[in-house]
Amino acid sequence: MMKIVGITACPTGIAHTYITKQKILDAAKECGYPCRIETQGTIGVEDELTAEEIKNADVVLLAVDVKISGESRFTGKPIVRCRTEDVMRNTSAFLRKIEEKLLAHNK
Amino acid sequence: MIDNVNIESVLNENTICLHLKGKTKDEILKEMSTMLYEAGRISSVKDFLDDVYMREEEGITGIGNNVAIPHGKSDSVLQTSVAVGRSDEDIEWQSIDDNPVRLIIMLAIKSYDKTVHIRLLSKIATSLCGKEVIDELLSIEDKQEVIKLLSKEDQ
Repeated sequence: MMKIVGITACPTGIAHTYITKQKILDAAKECGYPCRIETQGTIGVEDELTAEEIKNADVVLLAVDVKISGESRFTGKPIVRCRTEDVMRNTSAFLRKIEEKLLAHNK
Repeated sequence: MIDNVNIESVLNENTICLHLKGKTKDEILKEMSTMLYEAGRISSVKDFLDDVYMREEEGITGIGNNVAIPHGKSDSVLQTSVAVGRSDEDIEWQSIDDNPVRLIIMLAIKSYDKTVHIRLLSKIATSLCGKEVIDELLSIEDKQEVIKLLSKEDQ
């Protein structure tokens, strides 16, 4: 079972950041992946990931269109980086593909 | 539910049009900006549209299921607001599922605004992830119902 932590951030920091977060959470639930997403929007950082959550995660998903803060927290973790619209498009398939790659990588 | 007093401060009947006249994306962006202008929410249609188009260039705003969320953070915005527009016909729009758009939720964001209004806009945007909400929004005729649906917190 793939444990996901991630960050969403978009240019305006109002809409795509939160829509993408919701889509990732919904898809992760559907696929049975535990998942925690931090948002970095206009109002600042919310649902900030803890060191423990990051440590326990199998993969870090950065769905970001802009520069984010605190990326050094993920040093040494497998990171998937994409634009918000990439993961919004077909979120469940996107997450399953990550799991496939992760499994292949860990073999 | 979000407090109705709050939601009314960003969205009221004056900025809802359930039968848009525009037949293209450009016409609709202008029509909805004009609606925001006439409601006293923005100070200039032209300046606001410039910022909306700038955001369009940064990525697609069609979020699937026939919904688009064009938005502009702009000095021309007097008060952070939402406009809701619906078209009786399919409108061509760059979208994540490559489908045309019928429902347009336009967000007008006041520069440097970090108040509760911003959170309301984010919640409204998030509510559009729910297919059931969208289906209702695509068919209802009562503007108060539109406001109520968009202020639902969890789908």
